[in-house]
Parts: sequence; C-alpha cells; structure tokens
Amino acid sequence: MTIKTELMALNIGPHHPSTHGVFRMRVTLDGEVVKDIEPVFGYLYRGLEKLAEGRTYTQNIPLTDRLDYVSSMSCNYGYCLAVEKLASIQVPERANYIRIIVCELQRMINHMIAVGFFINDLGAFGTPIMYMWRERDKLLDLFEMLCGQRFLYNYIRIGGVSHDIPPEFIPAVNKFLDDYIGYHKEMEALLKENEILKARTIGTGVISADRAINTSMSGPCLRATGVDWDLRRDKSYSIYDRFKFDVIIGENGDNYDRYRVRMGELIESHSIVRQALEQLEDLQPGPVRTETPNLLRPPKGDVYVATEAPKGELGFYIVSNGSIAPYRWHVRSPDFINLTALREMVIGGMIADLIATFGSIDICLASVDR
Amino acid sequence: MITTPQEIITRMPASVWQPFDDPLDSGWAVDNFWAHWGLFSVGIIGFVLLVVMGFIWFERRFISPMQLRIGPNRCGPFGLLQPVADAVKVMLKEDIVPNLADKVVHFIAPIAIFVPVLLMFAVIPVHEGVGLIPDLNVGILFVIAVGSIETIAVFMAGWGSNNKYSILGAMRSVAMMVSYEMPMAFAVVAVVLVTGTLSLQGIVQAQTIPFALLLPMAFILYFIGALAELQRTPFDLLEAESEIIAGYHIEYSGMKFAMFYLGEYGGAIIQSALITTLFLAGWKGPFLPPFLWFMIKLFAVFGMIVWIRATWPRVRIDQLMSFAWKYMLPLSIVNLLIVALEVIWFEGDAVTWWLVPINIVICGALLTGWATFFKLRGGPQVES
Amino acid sequence: MEQLGTGESVAFWIFAVLGVTAAIGVVAVKNLFRAALLLVFCFFTVAGIYGSLSADFMAVAQVLVYMGAISVLIIFAVMLTRDLRHGNPFNRGWAWALVICAALMGLLVFVFIDTSWPTIEATQVEAVNQVGKDEATTSAIAESIFDKDFGFLLPFEIAAAMILAAVIGAIALVRDK
Repeated sequence: MTIKTELMALNIGPHHPSTHGVFRMRVTLDGEVVKDIEPVFGYLYRGLEKLAEGRTYTQNIPLTDRLDYVSSMSCNYGYCLAVEKLASIQVPERANYIRIIVCELQRMINHMIAVGFFINDLGAFGTPIMYMWRERDKLLDLFEMLCGQRFLYNYIRIGGVSHDIPPEFIPAVNKFLDDYIGYHKEMEALLKENEILKARTIGTGVISADRAINTSMSGPCLRATGVDWDLRRDKSYSIYDRFKFDVIIGENGDNYDRYRVRMGELIESHSIVRQALEQLEDLQPGPVRTETPNLLRPPKGDVYVATEAPKGELGFYIVSNGSIAPYRWHVRSPDFINLTALREMVIGGMIADLIATFGSIDICLASVDR
Repeated sequence: MITTPQEIITRMPASVWQPFDDPLDSGWAVDNFWAHWGLFSVGIIGFVLLVVMGFIWFERRFISPMQLRIGPNRCGPFGLLQPVADAVKVMLKEDIVPNLADKVVHFIAPIAIFVPVLLMFAVIPVHEGVGLIPDLNVGILFVIAVGSIETIAVFMAGWGSNNKYSILGAMRSVAMMVSYEMPMAFAVVAVVLVTGTLSLQGIVQAQTIPFALLLPMAFILYFIGALAELQRTPFDLLEAESEIIAGYHIEYSGMKFAMFYLGEYGGAIIQSALITTLFLAGWKGPFLPPFLWFMIKLFAVFGMIVWIRATWPRVRIDQLMSFAWKYMLPLSIVNLLIVALEVIWFEGDAVTWWLVPINIVICGALLTGWATFFKLRGGPQVES
Repeated sequence: MEQLGTGESVAFWIFAVLGVTAAIGVVAVKNLFRAALLLVFCFFTVAGIYGSLSADFMAVAQVLVYMGAISVLIIFAVMLTRDLRHGNPFNRGWAWALVICAALMGLLVFVFIDTSWPTIEATQVEAVNQVGKDEATTSAIAESIFDKDFGFLLPFEIAAAMILAAVIGAIALVRDK
C-alpha cells in the first residue's frame, strides 16, 4: 500500500541565515528528503571581470580584494603572480617570504571561518564560531598592524608587497603562533569527538574522488575525497618548495572529512608560517618590491596562473594586448567550481544535510558571483 | 474546576502562605476560596512573567562567557533591564499577518501555546502546601496532559501561517513531541511507582532522597525528554535557525511573537520546575527557606540546559526519531520494569539509600550497553 | 442535578454550550483544518464536563488521550486530504441527512430519558469523599480495573495484546516488500 504524496518546492534563500550571503537554492522536497535542487546564482554579481578591463593592472588589485573577501590576501597574491609572470617581473626574496607568511595566515583565517560557520550550520549555537572568531580577530589585528586594514588589504603588489613589515610584527606573529596550538586543542576538545557532530557529518554530503575530479573540484573539498593534490606541493610556485608540510587528505569525501581536512590544514599553515619566519630571520634586510612602472604595459600574450587559495585552485587568466589595461581578465574562482558539485552531494539527503553540506563546501558568494 | 471548591478549602493546610515568617498575617487565603484563587492566579502570571525575564537574562549572561562574550550589560546593572527593553521593543513592533494566512488560526495559536504553560503552574508546589492546587491528586498527569495541548498549538501556528518553512517546522515538532512524550511519561511513571502518589506535593514529600540519585535512569531520560519538549539544543530542529529559520513561528511578529517567546521560556520554567519537583526534591533543602531552594534548583536545572545549548550541535530529524523510539523508549520500559521489581522487593518502601548505588550502576550499565546496539551515525535510511 | 453546587452547574452549562457549538461547527465549517480544530475543542469541553463532575482522572485522561494523541492523528489524516480549505462541502443529500440525524438524535434522547440510571445516594457520595480523600478517583478506577476478584485484568491485557497486534499489522501492511 502506498500513500500518494506530492513533492514540495521550497526556496531556500536568497535571504536565509545559512546561505552565507545571497545564494538561492530551489529545493524539491519529498517531506524532509531532498529530491532535487537547483542553485540560483548571481545576486551579488558586480561585473568585476568586465570592470577590470577598464582599469590598469595596478588598479585591479583592490578588485581582487573584493573577490573572496574572506581571504583577500590570497586573491591579491594569485593576481600579482599572474601579472608578474605575464610581464616577467622578478620578486625580491624578502617579499616572497612576507607573501607566504601573509597568505598562510590568510588560509588560517579562511579555515577558521569555514569550520566555525560549518558547525554553526550544524546547529551548535555560537560557541564554536566564537572560539574560531577569537583567533581570527587576533590575525586581523596582525594584518592591521601590517597594512592598516583588517579586511580588504591591497597589500600584495605587483613586484612585491606594498611595504616592509613593521618591526613589532614578527614578535606578534610568533606570540600568536605560540598561543594558537593551545586554542586549537581547545577547539578540538570541544567538538572533535562529539557523537552528534559525527552522526550528522559522517556519511553525509558524500562525493567520490572520481566525481570530484570530474567536476573539477579543488582545495580541501577535493582532498577530503582522498585525492592527494595540492598545488603548493605538486605545482610548486613561488618558494613553497622550501617548506616542509603535509598535505592533509580525507578518505570518504563526506562532511566530516572536509571538516577534518580544514582543521589539519590550520596546523600545517601554522607550521609553514613558523618555518617562513625562521628563514626570514636569516635573511638580510632588503627591498620588498621591484620597481615597476605605475602604468605597467605587459607584452602581448596571455597567461594562466593557478595558486592554492584556501578554498581551492584560484586561477587568473589574463590576456594582454600591450596596453595599460588587461584585454581580458578571467577568474577561476574555486568556490564557484566546488559549488557545482553541491547538487549531487545533497540529493537523497535531508534538508539538514543540505545546509550542512552547503556550509562544508565553504563558499564566499562574492567570489562565486564576482 | 477539577476538584470542588469545598474540597480545596478543606484540604488547605492551616498556614497556606508562610515562606518567610508569615508576612501576610496568615489565613485569609484559607478562609476565602476566591481570594486563594485570585491570589495565586495573579501570582502565577506575575511569577511566570518575572521568571521568564529572569531566565532570559540568566541565559544570555550565562551563555556569553562560554562564548567569549560579555552579554547584555548596558540596560541597568549587569544588563538586568535588558529583558524589559526587549519586551517593550517587541510590544511596539507591528503585528504582521500574512495575506493568505488562515487568520483565525493564526490569531489563536499564540494564545493556545501560552495558556497551557500557565495552566501547568497551577499544580507546582513552591513550598509545603503553597501553590494554586499543589495537592491535586492527579497532579503529574495533569501536567503531562496539559503539556500535550501544545502540540496542537504548534500545529495551528505552523498551518495557519501558510508558510512552507513553518509547516516543515510544525511537522517536525508534532512528530517529535508525540514521540518524546512516551519515554518522558514512562520516566514519570517510575517516580509515581516509588512514591505511590500522583500528587506533586506528595512526590516532593516522599523524597527523603532526591530521586535524581535514587532513579538516575528516569532522571536522565526525563531530562533528555524535557530538552526535546522544550525544543532546546540538541533537539532544536523544529525552529532550527540555520535550516528552517524559525520553524512554526516564522510568520509572527510583535506581541504574538512575544507570546511564543513567553511560551518557550515559560515551558523552560515549567520543565525545570518539574525536574526540580520530581527528581531534585522540590522545595526541600537545609538552612535556606524552601522557596529559595526551589528557585535555586530551578535556575540550576535551567543552567544545565543552557550549558548544553552552548556546546552541542543539533541532531537530524531521522536521528531524533530513532533516538526516541529505539533508544529512549526501550530504556524507559526496562527502567520501569526494574523500578517495579524494586518496589515489590522492598514492599512499597523503595526510598532507601541501599538502592542508590545499585541503581546508579544499573543505569550506567544500561545506558552504555544499549548504546552499543544503537547506531546514530550514517546517512538517512530512506529509499530514493 | 441538585447534588451539584452552583459553581459546577455554571461550569457545566458553559462547557455544554461550547461543546455543542463546537460539535455543530465541526460539521458546518467548510475548512477541514478548522473543523479538526473545532473537534479538538469539543474534546476539551468534554474534559471540562468531566472536571465539573469531579471526575478528575477522567478529565485529565480525556485531555491526554484525545487532545494530545487522537487529535494529532486526526490532523495528520486531514493533512492527507486534498482541497483542505473547502473540503467539507454541503452536498445535495443534506435534507435526507438532516432527517436521519434528527431521528437518531430523538432515539438517543428517548433512550437517555427512558433508562432508569442507577444512582447513588447523597450519603454514599459523602462516604466516598470521606474515605478516599486523597486518591479517590484514581485509585477507585484502578481498583475496579485491576482488582483480583472482580476486576477486568484479563480483558485489559487482551486489549493491550490486540492493540499491539494491530500496530504490528499496520507496520506489516505499509512496509516495503
């Protein structure tokens, strides 16, 4: 005997507490079970890629700040690397170290927010996110010390960084790194082995390694499926080959693995910053920026540079026609591509899993919609 | 309306109102039936409103250090007036009724959710013999019965709002309340078996040992059930803010929303009061006046609930249901059986210290033993 | 009804009028969901009448069983119907229905009036009140059901077993093969 039921269409978003911005999912529900979802993008579309075509290469750096505002430094970095490759600009050694330090600190910020909000989406009201928020705030203080900005830094410039680090920065970072391990353990003690968290995350939002590669996923989401792939190691750019770090991988590609991968990467980033600081100590003071003309005119041609941003492979494709502005400026934003896998991760699950899985992908709508 | 007025008068203890050295020149409430009802009706409403404000303030102040915050600290000393400010704010808000809502149902739902909460207070004793009808001889049944009305009220709110989120929340809530009432009721029956009375007054008086020690299993089961009944973390998925936003009261604003808020916190008071009465020896306690003991225990229980809220994530609806039916219900029946055997063994006088260690061991063994058979993890067990 | 005091009579009449109104509403209201809610209210007034008759256990059991459980069942059943808001139509057979219902009503009233109901004397009421002041109704009901000599223990257990069988049967029916 079967009872005839009707599917229900439910709009989640664009105004919804856990869509992390203005994202909309048209969900088809059978009771509580998700039968189908249709993501609707574009509520935060600002036309950055078109805007960039009317601005000089240097003026475009602030636009990259506004790509993924949770990890602005990494976006700055990816863009500057691309332009440097296009115009064949050498970067001073010291600037390289500073860039690595800020980018890894930025990765920590991003993962803190990702994990905090993910657990918030699971329903742990406030506490985990505040634990993470506290550490993030200390990092923002460090960035403020560095470049006077807490959020949209515009610090990494073409040919280096905007200015050298202030003398009190390194002790402050060291102090943060010393303290951080204890706070990290505190966070792990709070929820790592919590049965409800495990029950909610293990086995939900699963995507296989094959499918993850086919959908071109990258970053922690890809590594959680067991694919051992990290651009920092496998296509080493800048000076990442000088540091020893592990690539954290998961097994099943479920929500729990994504959470664990991010928690592991926090520690790895911590260790990279430590190493970078040590190597920076040995370095003589020197310039932090190669002099480049304000109206940079890279030679004709195109370039694609991919970096391992916190959310995955952040690629910049720039076409130059020899003028002061890029002819074409395209961003391969990792969270947009990761988000395309959402549909097959959630079908057959429940609404609660949908929200959790969506949180675990870690997207920033500004970067998705651009 | 449950017992006749004459009966109530004759059953009144000689001194109805003497928590603090009899400030009220005792007796007038005894002689006058209507004065007693009037006093306690007004008293209960005032008590509920005051304690709700106290609870709101307490929750916010208590949870904020756990979350590395300070909490409300601007209105009055220690932010004590914050709930008042919130109340004023919420009363001044516009009352919005959705166009396609079932307006009558939408209107009645907030009332239907708050009135049962007030009704339940009628039987809670806050002092020996003090309460509206504290020794109603079906007291605990009355509380459970009136509490079950809230299911309908939640459903009315969810349906009447004509909103998909609210209907989802209402569906979840009805499913949950119906299933968690069973283990809760069984836990209460264990208490009733030991005490041999349904009257809350009698249950308190029977507790020479707090039943949290004597019947730890019933206490734990009831506490979990109370969390579910209160829609508190980890069972707050009916109003899961990150999923279905506010669940059944998503379409309410202004004073109607305040009624839901009152009902929610009033429910928190009543469940804390019931746990206090059933398992923590109610108003009993050394040195301090009974009413103060009652309040201390009330806030302690609520503090525990808040602590859990600050720590845990929430479960999913299928896990919630399987937890109720596959874990709590069997355990509560087994617990009932054990308690019944003990009552027979001790020939009706099971309130002895002998049983405390035995019961704690049995409770631990059963909880962990059954947990090995019960699996919460894994994806949803639904066919696609 | 002279045994009842004025308070009880007033309460009785309030509940009676409300209950009958609600019952009429159940069949008259077009919106099925509201009809279900009116039915729930009707259950509540019945509980109130039990209360006014000093049958406290019955009143509480009525609220617990009917308002807490049965009504949820009814509302869930109502949710499964289509066209909820106008689904309680008057059709063309209403005149016949009225006649049959009136006849049934008349029959019931006749039976009620004609039966010689066993009543207990006022003195007996006093005696009961004197003896079991604390647990009067609850323990009296328990005695009459579970008493060893003239209780209904076996029927009670059989009823429980039947309900269990019904539950298992229902599960077996709707289970996936």
